[in-house]
Amino acid sequence: MSGDRRVVLTGAGVVSPLGDTGAALHAALLAGRSALSPVTLFPTDGLPAFLVGELAGFDAQASLGEGNLRPLDRISRMVVVAAERALTASGFSRPLRAGREVGLVLGTMLSGVRTIAEFDRRGLTRGPSYVSPLDFANTVINAAAGQTAIWHDLRGVNSTIAGSAASGLQAIASAVDLIRSGRADALLAGGADELCYETLLGFARTGRLCGAGVRPLPFDPRRSGFALAEGAALVMLEEAESAAARGAVVLAEVRGHGTAFDRSRGADPARAARAVTRALVAALDDAGLQPEAIDALSAAANGSVLGDAAEAAGIAAVFPGRPGRPPKDLPISAVKGLLGEALGAGGALQVIDLLETMRESVAVRHALIDAMGFDGQHAAVVLARPDGSGR
Amino acid sequence: MKGGRRIVVTGIGAVTPVGTGKTELWEALLAGRSGFSAVESFDTRGHTVHQGAEVRGFRPADHVRHLDPARLGRASQFAIAAAWLALADAGIDPADAVAVDPERAGVAMGTTSGEPREIERLDDCLLAAKPEDVGAWFADLYPCHVLASHVAAEVGFEGPNTVIPTACAAGNYAIAHALDLLSAGRAELMLAGGADAFSRITYTGFARLGAIAPETCQPFDRNRKGMIPGEGAGMVVLEPLDRARRRGARIYAEVAGYGLSCDAHHMTAAHPEGSGAARAMERALAESGRNASEVSYISAHGTGTPTNDRLESLAVKRVFGEGARKVPISSIKSMLGHTMGAASAIEAAVCALAVYEDKIPPTMNLEEPDPECDLDCVPNVARELSVRVAMNNAYAFGGNNASLILEKHER
Repeated sequence: MSGDRRVVLTGAGVVSPLGDTGAALHAALLAGRSALSPVTLFPTDGLPAFLVGELAGFDAQASLGEGNLRPLDRISRMVVVAAERALTASGFSRPLRAGREVGLVLGTMLSGVRTIAEFDRRGLTRGPSYVSPLDFANTVINAAAGQTAIWHDLRGVNSTIAGSAASGLQAIASAVDLIRSGRADALLAGGADELCYETLLGFARTGRLCGAGVRPLPFDPRRSGFALAEGAALVMLEEAESAAARGAVVLAEVRGHGTAFDRSRGADPARAARAVTRALVAALDDAGLQPEAIDALSAAANGSVLGDAAEAAGIAAVFPGRPGRPPKDLPISAVKGLLGEALGAGGALQVIDLLETMRESVAVRHALIDAMGFDGQHAAVVLARPDGSGR
Repeated sequence: MKGGRRIVVTGIGAVTPVGTGKTELWEALLAGRSGFSAVESFDTRGHTVHQGAEVRGFRPADHVRHLDPARLGRASQFAIAAAWLALADAGIDPADAVAVDPERAGVAMGTTSGEPREIERLDDCLLAAKPEDVGAWFADLYPCHVLASHVAAEVGFEGPNTVIPTACAAGNYAIAHALDLLSAGRAELMLAGGADAFSRITYTGFARLGAIAPETCQPFDRNRKGMIPGEGAGMVVLEPLDRARRRGARIYAEVAGYGLSCDAHHMTAAHPEGSGAARAMERALAESGRNASEVSYISAHGTGTPTNDRLESLAVKRVFGEGARKVPISSIKSMLGHTMGAASAIEAAVCALAVYEDKIPPTMNLEEPDPECDLDCVPNVARELSVRVAMNNAYAFGGNNASLILEKHER
C-alpha cells in the first residue's frame, strides 16, 4: 500500500433532525435534546405510535436557492443539500471543482425505497405506460449519488455503498482507501437514509423497534429496541498535501478504519461481540494506535436488546480495564438514544458529532467511531486531531 | 498508482440465462446461443414488449447448503450458487481452516435492485390493503446488503462485507472494491461479483423508456431496437498473486487496474460526447500501465439500445484513436440480455476466460453494421486470437462509469 498519502477531513455537511450544522447537532446532543416524536410525514395506518427522528421541515429549495429540484426525490434532495453544505464548509467552490475532480461515496441502506415502491404500485394500478421516466431514474439505488453528482458537477469517482446501518462508515472507509491509493484526491463521503411508510412498516414487523411512545435506551438494562430516524451526513475527505496546498482548514485526520462480518448475523452473541472487537482492532491497527490512545468513543448502540450487549462486550475486549468492562476514563456515548437510528446516515452523523467534540476539547486527540449493521456488518473509523501526535 | 500487490482471478462462477457454471456459460457464448424468451416471471400483458432473459430451471436447493433457501430472495440464491461455483472452480474449500482464514476472506457484491421481488411482494400486500401480510421478511430479505451478507453467512467469510449498488456498472465496481481491499492488505481472499433477479419494476421502467427490444438484442446493428432485460449472478475469486502461486492455483488473469468516473450529466442518458466513459477507460489503462494499442479485446457495455452503442463507440474511438477499428469489441448482452448488476461481473469473468483461453465471444444478431459503430464488433462468430489485455466496460444510471483491465498471467 502506498502508505504516505494521508487523508484529512476539511468540512462537513449535515441534514439532521437535530440541526443543519455539526455545531447545532452537537449542541442539541450535549443538551440532551431528543429528536424523537410521533410521525407527521406520512400516514401510519395501523401501526403503533412509534417515535421517530424525522426532518419535519426539510426544505431543499430554501437551502439550495435556484435550480430545478423536480427530478429529485426526497432522499436525493437530502444528499444534495448535505453535499452543498460540505462543499461550502470545505471551501470547495464550484470554480475550484471545475479544475479539480471531486467525487462522492455515499452509504445508504434503503436509498429511495419509497420511490421504488410508489413506482411499482403506480405501474400496477394505472398501467405500465403511466409510470414516469423521471421516477424510474430514481428507482436505482445509486440515484441519490448520481443526482448529487449532476447537481454539484462531481465528475470524480461516484460510488454507492450498502452495508446496512454500517453503510456510512463503510463509505468513509472506501473513500479513504481510494484517496490513499491515489485513485482520488477529494471525495465527499458519508451516508443518508430517509424515513417513509415502507421502512417504518418493515422495521415494525421485525419487532426490533421500541414500542409506541417509548424512547430508546442504549446500553440500559430496560432497553427494548431502537427508534428510526433519517438524515444525510457527508464529510469532505482530501489527500493531506493537496488540501494543504489549497489552504484548506483541516478539522481532523482520518487515521484508520476497520471492518468485520459476523457470520451469525447477530444470532450468536459471542460471534457478534468478536466482530465488534475485530473491526475496532483493525481500525486501531490501520491507524497505528494502541487502544490507550483513544480518548472518546462513539458507539453504534441504538437500544437494541442484543446489539447493544454485543457492542459493549466487543468494546470491553479491546480496552484495558476492569475485567469485562471498559475503563472508566474512556467516555463512550451512544447518540442514537437522542437521535434515533438513521441507518446509512448514522455512522457519518457520529463522525460529525465527534468533530465538534474534538473542536471543543483539546483533550480528545483520537476518537473512535463504531457502526453495526443489522445483518452482521461492522465498521470502525479512527479520527485524529490535526494538531495531534504526528506519525 | 495502484498498490504493490498483484491481484489475480482464480475462480469463476455464474448463473445466467444461457447456463449455470463457467463451462456452460463459456460454451454457450462461443456457440452464440441466446437466452431470450417470453417473460414468465410476471404478466406482461400491459406492456408492448414481452421478451426477457430469465434463468430457467434454477433449483436453489441444489446450491444452498447452510442457509434456508426459503428465507433467501432470488438474487441471493443466484449469488450463493455463483459463489459456491466460483470457490469450487478455484479449488477452495472455505471450511478448510488451513487454506482459508475466514476473518481475512470477504465478499463484495454489485447489484441494480438488490432483491426486487421482496419489495414487489410488499407492494402486492399494500395494494391488496393487507399490510398485516407484510412480515419481518421485508426488512430481513429486501435491503440490497443481503447479497453480500447471505453469501458470507453461507460460505463462512468473516472479512470485509459490502454491496455496491451502482446499477448496471455494479459488477465492475464490486471487483474494483475487492481490488482495493486486497491491495491494501485488508483481505487475503475475496468473492466479488454481482447479482440481480428479474424484476417487474426494472422491466416496467425500461419499457417506459422505450429501451426494451421487441424481439432480440442486436448490439451495434443499424436496426437495433434495445436491450433484453435479464437476471443472474456472476462471481470471481480474487486473491493476491503470491497466495495463488503458493497454493498452485489456476490463474485465469490478473486484474491489472480499473477506472471509475461520473458523467455528472444526466440520470439515464450518457454524456453526448462519451466523455465520462472515455475517462473511465483512460484511467483503467493508466492504472494498468498499458497503452490503448496493447488492448486485445474490449467487452462492451453494449446494451443494444440505439444511444448506448453509438456513444460507447464514440468513447472507444476517443480513447483508441486511429487504432479503434483494430480492437475486437463484442457484447455478450446479445446472448445473455442485460443481467443488470450481474452483467459486468459476468462480463469480467468472460474477459478472464478470454484472456485464459485466447478466444473471444461474438456479438450475435449483428446483421447490418451501424456506420456510427464502425468498430470490429466480432459479428456472429466467436474468434480465436491471442488475448493479452482485455478491457471490460460498464455504464450505469447516475452516470456511473467503470472500466476494468484484465491481463494474461505469464505462466
